[in-house]
Parts: sequence; C-alpha cells; structure tokens
Amino acid sequence: MNPLELMLGILTAVGGFVDVSELVFAAQAGSGFGYALIWVFAFSTIGIMVFGEMSGRVAAVAQQPVFNLMRHRLGLGLGLVTLIASILSNLITCAAEVGGAAIILHLLTGASTALMALAMTAVLVGSIWVLPFKWIERAYGLLGLVMIVFAVALVKIDPPWAAIAGGFVPQVPQGLSVRELTRFAYFGVAIVSAVMFPYEVYFYSSGGIEDEWGVKDLAVNRLTCIVGFGLGSLLAITILSSSAQLFGPLHIDPQLPGSAALEVELPMGRTGLLLALLGMLFAISGAAIETCLANAYGIAQFFGWKWGRRKKPWDAPRFTLTWIILFVLALAIVLTGIDVMRLVEFAVLFSILVLPLTYLPLLLLASDRRFMRTHRNGWIANGLGWGYFVVILVAALAAVPLFILTSGGQA
Amino acid sequence: MTPRDEIQLVGGLLDLPILDCEGRYCGIVDDIELADESGAPRVSALLVGPGAYRGRLPRWAFALVRRIVGAHVTRVPWSAVKTIASAVELDRSAGELGLDRFEQRAERLLPHRGAL
Repeated sequence: MNPLELMLGILTAVGGFVDVSELVFAAQAGSGFGYALIWVFAFSTIGIMVFGEMSGRVAAVAQQPVFNLMRHRLGLGLGLVTLIASILSNLITCAAEVGGAAIILHLLTGASTALMALAMTAVLVGSIWVLPFKWIERAYGLLGLVMIVFAVALVKIDPPWAAIAGGFVPQVPQGLSVRELTRFAYFGVAIVSAVMFPYEVYFYSSGGIEDEWGVKDLAVNRLTCIVGFGLGSLLAITILSSSAQLFGPLHIDPQLPGSAALEVELPMGRTGLLLALLGMLFAISGAAIETCLANAYGIAQFFGWKWGRRKKPWDAPRFTLTWIILFVLALAIVLTGIDVMRLVEFAVLFSILVLPLTYLPLLLLASDRRFMRTHRNGWIANGLGWGYFVVILVAALAAVPLFILTSGGQA
Repeated sequence: MTPRDEIQLVGGLLDLPILDCEGRYCGIVDDIELADESGAPRVSALLVGPGAYRGRLPRWAFALVRRIVGAHVTRVPWSAVKTIASAVELDRSAGELGLDRFEQRAERLLPHRGAL
C-alpha cells in the first residue's frame, strides 16, 4: 500500500463528501433543531461506509462494477426498473448540483444564475473531456478540501462542545408540536437520503475499476470509506453546528445553498466568506461530475457498452455521448427557472425511493460466493447491511407522506 | 468456467457482460439460443441487442423499447465463448462478430482531440 496514494484517496473522499443537499439540509437542520439531528448524520455516515466498502470490494474482487452485475442478479425487468429510477434520481440530483453551483457563482460574480449555469456546465463538460479519471477525481476532491474553513469557523465561534457531543446520541427533541415533529422526521429522512445518495456507490465502485483496483486494494478501500467518509461527514456536521449556534437563536432559516457561507463570514470576515463560497463551489462541482458520471456509468454498464474516463472520450463513444447528453439535460432543467431548492428536495425524495433498489442487489452481490469467493460479506458486514437496508426501506416508505405533510420541509 | 462445463443458463450466464478478446465491453447476454441436437438441447449462441428482450419484458414494455432503440439482435456463436465468470470472455474481437457497429457510429460523432 503506497501511503501517499492512500492519503490522497482519503483526502479526495473527504473533499468529495459534501454536496448541495447536505449543505442545505445541514444548515437548515441546525437552525431548526439545534444539535438534535447530528446523530442522523452520524448514523447515515456509518451506512454509506458499509455500502461504499461493499461496492468497492465487489469492484476489486469481481472486477465488475455494481451495475454490470446488478442486472445479472435482478434480471432484465427489475434491472430496467432500477436503471430508470436511478437515471431519474441521478439526473435531478445532477441538476440540483449544477443549479447550486450556479447560485454560488452568481454570488461570487453578480452575473445571472442562468448564465452561470451555462458556464458551469461548459467547464464541467470540458473538465471530463480533457482530464483522465484520476485527475478529475483528485482535482475536485482536493479543491473541495477548502470546505475545511467551515471547521475553522466553528472553532472560532467556540460553540458549546458538550452540546455538540450530546447531538451524537440518538434523540428526539422534547416539547415539539406534532407539526414540528413531522418536520423533524422529514429532516431525518432527508439527511439519510442526502448522505446515502445512490450515485455515491455507483461512482465509487466504477471509480475502483477506473483506478484498476484488485484484491490488493481491499485495505485501501476499507480505509478510504471509513476515514474519508467519516471526516467528510464531520465537515457536514460542522455546518450543522455553526448553523445551530449562529442562525438558530435568530430564527433564520438558511434555505439557499449560499446561506451556509455566512456561517464562516460572521467569525472570519470577507476572506472567510470568499473561502467558504469557493469551497462550496468546488464541492458542489465535484458532486455534479460524480452524479453525471455515475448516471452514464449505470447506463453504459447496463447495456454492456465500453465505458470509463481512463480511456480517451472517443474510445468509449456511447458512454461519452451519454454523459454529455445528461449534462445538457441537467442544464435544461436548471434553465427552466425551477427553484434550485425544489430541485434539492426532489433529488432527496427520489433518491430515498431508489435507495432500496440500489442497495438490495449490492447486498446480494457482496454475499455471493461465486463472485466474491473468500472476500464475501462476513457477519458484521451482513448484519450492518441488512440492518441499514430495513432502515432505508422504512425511510423510503415514510418519505412521500412526510414530504407532502411538511410541503418539502418548509418551516 | 469454460463453455464445455455444465452451466446454469439463468444463474450463471444470462445478463452477464461480454468482453471481447481485447478485453473491451461489447454487450450483455440478453438471451440464449438453444439448438436441439438429437433430443439433447445445447446452447448454440448468445443473443445480444434489444431485439432479444422479446419475451423477457411485458409486451407493452418491449414495444416501448423497440420504438426507442429498435429491435436489432446480434448472434454470437457459442464457439466464440472462451470463459465464463463474472463476465463472458470471447476469443474473437467485437468487430469480427458485428458487436461494435453502434460504438463505431457513435465514435464518428465525436472529435478525436483535446483529451489527456
């Protein structure tokens, strides 16, 4: 194991963890419910560690990404249903990321959001065209590390650390009205969805193949998932905590993706604000690339096309045309003028509905002796996997009623 | 596993990805063709392409697929199969078997420059 490669992989996972949905829901959850939802972030992070590790292990051992084998496991009919559902979920998520990045660029430059969405899409398409996979992954992941400025800002405001630590204990706040409890439950489900987005396992497992992982990389896979996702999630928790400390007492509901940057401006001034906006821009742009590529990976793998950005774009032509078309579609959704916050809400709602379909075949594959041989799930991975599967199934069933009852989490 | 071994057609072959002799993805085992040789059915070919979805999807779903992407099928003779594991490996190139027509068509739409 090359320590430099391992460190870069972990840092990339940290910088690539936060996306527009986590930003928005972390800031809103902190403002609305103090530290009471930190435990949902922690709980979901263990979930994405479990399934991320499984998807990386399947890629490394079976030498096939999850979507390729998923169709074999589910059959054509159910596989096609899963594909269509994940295409929709990933496309809406990608549009939310492009829209979120456009808002940040609008805040930085003053130019119109539509123009910035157009420019952003051109830059993202250009990045994937020009850069090979490893560079794309590293560049956006490492630039996303500028988000650490949120942790620095939290230390500067010196919050009640004991209260933050208390937030890691599962709890439901006392004295909430039925309406507030429903909103609390909605935020809980939304955070589970935002942290465990289906695109993450598609991207991660395909990335393992792009990076030519084999059995020798299983330890790297495990460490990247546990340490990288764990530290990335701590970043999201710092956003929630600052919001609880700064916005909560003033009854500010930070609904826009840009609002979270004010958490850094208050203790660190203009430089802090600029760094926060840049960090958010890089993190959201990286997530836009991941959602788009994850979608193209899924489609190409389902139909057995050549895929991957370790090849030149013209050496995997149908895959290349697919990710270009998906970016254009995401841009078209943003240019309809739909509120980016609505897109974020829809992304989270669709994703939680798709999650069980994503994770069930992964669980079956990771336990399959034929493909995984001695590296199949042990009792810990199986126990955690099935436990989380039940939780996401319940969350998926509750998502639509909660979305309707709270009008998408509105205060 | 090789083509001469006993194979579970659904559990061990159907819907697996196909790699050609140069390790390039060139389709999925969308269906399996059987030939009846003196009363003992044997696999004679792999069928690749959306036309092979007929009978595997509800009629309305297949009609929709056919309308969107057509109903072409490419027949890969069983003799071209080298090994079967988490993918089916062929001992011939995708071009020889007619499995790369659509990739070639898409390739013509893309410029061949500017990528590192």
